[in-house]
Amino acid sequence: MQRMFMRRVGLALLLMLAATALTFWLVTAAPGNVAALIAERAAGSGADGEMIARIADDLGLNDPLPVRYARWLGDALTGDFGVSLRTGKPMAEEFAERIPMTLALLVGGGILALVISLAMGIAGAASNGGVVDRVLHGLALVGASTPNFFVAALLVIVFSVWLGVLPSFGVSGLTSWLLPWVTIALFPASVLARVVRVNLQDTMSRPFATTGFAKGLTRRAVLFREALPNIAIPYMTTFGAQFTLMIIGAIVVERVFGLNGVGAFFIEAIRFRDFIGMQATLTLFVVFFVSVNLTVDLLAMLADPRLRRPRKA
Amino acid sequence: MKNWPWAILAPATIFVLIGIFSPWLMTHNPAAQDYAALLEGPSWSHWLGTDYLGRDMFSRIIGGARTSLVAMVFVLVAALAIGVVIGSFAGYVGGKTELVLISMIDIALALPSLVIALALMGVFSGANFDWMSDYWKMIVALTLAWWANYARMSRAVVVAELQQPYIEAARVMGASHIWIFTRHILPHVLGLVVVYASADAGALVLAIATLSFLGLGVAPPTPEWGQMLVDGMSYIEENTALVIIPGLALTAVVVSFNLLGEAFALQKVPRAVRGRFLARKKAARAAEETARNEVEA
Amino acid sequence: MNAIYEVQGLVIDLYTPTVSVRAVDGAGFHVAPGETLAIVGESGSGKTVMTLGPLGLLPEGVAVDLRGTARADGKDILAMTPADLSRLRGGFFGVIFQDPMSALNPMLKIGPQLARQAQVYAGLSAEAAKREAVSLLARSGIPDPEDRYDRYPHELSGGMLQRAMIALALAARPRVLIADEPTTALDATVQAQILALIRQIQKEDGIAVILITHDIGAVSVLADRVAVLYAGQVAEEGSAMDVLTAPVHPYTRGLLASVPDFRSETASGTKEIPGIPPNQAQLVPGCRFADRCDQVQPQCHRRRPRLQTVGTGALPHRVACPVVIAAEGIVTHD
Repeated sequence: MQRMFMRRVGLALLLMLAATALTFWLVTAAPGNVAALIAERAAGSGADGEMIARIADDLGLNDPLPVRYARWLGDALTGDFGVSLRTGKPMAEEFAERIPMTLALLVGGGILALVISLAMGIAGAASNGGVVDRVLHGLALVGASTPNFFVAALLVIVFSVWLGVLPSFGVSGLTSWLLPWVTIALFPASVLARVVRVNLQDTMSRPFATTGFAKGLTRRAVLFREALPNIAIPYMTTFGAQFTLMIIGAIVVERVFGLNGVGAFFIEAIRFRDFIGMQATLTLFVVFFVSVNLTVDLLAMLADPRLRRPRKA
Repeated sequence: MKNWPWAILAPATIFVLIGIFSPWLMTHNPAAQDYAALLEGPSWSHWLGTDYLGRDMFSRIIGGARTSLVAMVFVLVAALAIGVVIGSFAGYVGGKTELVLISMIDIALALPSLVIALALMGVFSGANFDWMSDYWKMIVALTLAWWANYARMSRAVVVAELQQPYIEAARVMGASHIWIFTRHILPHVLGLVVVYASADAGALVLAIATLSFLGLGVAPPTPEWGQMLVDGMSYIEENTALVIIPGLALTAVVVSFNLLGEAFALQKVPRAVRGRFLARKKAARAAEETARNEVEA
Repeated sequence: MNAIYEVQGLVIDLYTPTVSVRAVDGAGFHVAPGETLAIVGESGSGKTVMTLGPLGLLPEGVAVDLRGTARADGKDILAMTPADLSRLRGGFFGVIFQDPMSALNPMLKIGPQLARQAQVYAGLSAEAAKREAVSLLARSGIPDPEDRYDRYPHELSGGMLQRAMIALALAARPRVLIADEPTTALDATVQAQILALIRQIQKEDGIAVILITHDIGAVSVLADRVAVLYAGQVAEEGSAMDVLTAPVHPYTRGLLASVPDFRSETASGTKEIPGIPPNQAQLVPGCRFADRCDQVQPQCHRRRPRLQTVGTGALPHRVACPVVIAAEGIVTHD
């Protein structure tokens, strides 16, 4: 199993390399003339051809692409992600300021999604086709269909505008995190609740569930002792996928609630043609996604006793 | 596909029909502004009220349906085409080509689709792409973000089908590659892919709306529900309808597509018979039993 | 008759979204302590449903409608509360299922499951339960039981797993052991060992054993009594000797004739029963075997044959075929 481990890690690194190379190529191919952009920013309309050429030379923009990528990679590995074309601050500094915010959103949202989805899925399975099951199923369907910006808007309308209980802007204290977290968690919770419910239903009709009944366990006991351990792996895999999707929720939430995280920065970078900022943020995203997927893969391998202890003769 | 609940198709079909017939369903010109009637509630002339520029909400919603529908169809068709072609080719040809293509697909799947679309919108903001309108930038970005999943699916189906004995039989009988592919394999690929796409349509509508909400999708004055919602956010204190109505429309449409997807998926999960269905079956059985008892008496 | 598990007049309908099946159509059986009853029939004859149905041990996902009477140790099973029924399933009955690979939870270790049964139903302490579990594994013929205690199902071979399942069934010290096709999923040599193990356990513990099988060989090795099931109805039942050596019902005769007996000097190959298995989604009047029977009479399609007692042995021999009884002048004792 060690070998499988190392193989996955190796593949993940390769993937990161390839993905960042691709984004590098795309982002550098886009602007047409970064040097001109920079010159404009620096000297306004006074920028002339000579100045542009000098900037291009300075930044090594005329070198072949692989060389530029290698240079960028080298810089990146030492923590230098360039300077934002929009804010003028080094990207490393922007990240240091903004990553904690986005991380807090993701982690809070993730925990909320975990708890809600498990509660809903298990409650549905315990009811097994009864009213509770069908209501929760409907809720999950709607939850998985509602755009997260609409959820955010609705929560703001209800709790800020009508009830005036929770803030609609910024975060200051625990309660102000509630609306952002709920907004981010709703979609993943709904998808995961369905995964739990369907997998539990499938598992409960497998032969070993009947053995569980034959052991004298009540249905609730069979659900928790025999069935639940068997959904761990599909749940983990879906959770990993949903967790990476939550970055979009974070982007939307940061916009709606005016939080300065990485997501908001990314959108601003796109709108203001801050290609260096875009490049750096995309790299961050790639690292994030590949790492999360890798972690989930590895955890799933560890959770499966069939992989933990391969069959002996 | 027996016991297929055809009713499930209804909501999605309604959306498609609204989208197609939208110009005839509108009561007003969705772009027409009326400064005399700003932020009004529902009335006989404006069924769903007006927005902050006096535009008729009802017509804008109907118009938004068409915008979403058209964009969705473009992207789905293009992504399907690209995905099926690349995936099938990879699966059929095999060898090094397949490996290269698989790597491409894996890289394209390393990021969630919407993030890729966002990133591409960022790339397209560069000067090199000024020739593309915002609308087409969005379509292309989404297409490039969406094809990889279909490619992976197509490849899997092709690989599975190629292992079936009837393929070899066809080859022995002298069928050409193209014949084998179009006649035997393609139907299977399309079967799976189309089913997935119908459920995926909901996610795509959400993606289009999200991009527009973030200001990176459809630009005004073209009506689009995400766009309308983000505009309405500024007036959230005065008139929540500007936010609620497009939001509900979006949710309704996505629910209708997700219902489709559910129906497909649930075909495979065993479901116990309950309630009235069970009662009917029991009654039928009891009737049979009485009939038999009479014969045996 | 001091039956410890008896079922009478059982009618079981199974409902799925697409079909309604009458798995058991007015059948019953009984088994006494220290006795082995073999329930024999083709796949789909209702053997498992009849035996496990009253205990509520049918797979989830199928709606079950059950009528009749069922008693365990004199108590009415069908009137029990769910809690009592659970205790009955766990402590009074032990069940061995067909395919041990799928009947054991892949995510749980084997030993602790046994220990828990011993703890809950035999009232042992945690440490004593663990020792009991290990000794049960040993008794079931599993080498190195302390090591196997901590193993997962996928780490054991099919034969070992079946032994583990037997140990699990015995851990709660049940009074009735139900073995549902315990050897079907195993190799031939292992089959014999498993059957021998069951026989040994019965002799030592004096429990009642119900063996559900379509393997006549296993029946001849283990059974004291045999019940033959066809399309959810009992065709013939009696002592193993009576049923296997002097069968009366045409189905039983056909079944036994279709078993190759390479020990017999007059062996001339097998004779199959013509026709196809019955469609149990439909209720058919009369005898279900009539379509395939070589003794069929007009009355067979109209009247349901009831069980009549023939013979004079200690264990009653009952047959549901008035045609053969009349034709061969067999004396009935009803």
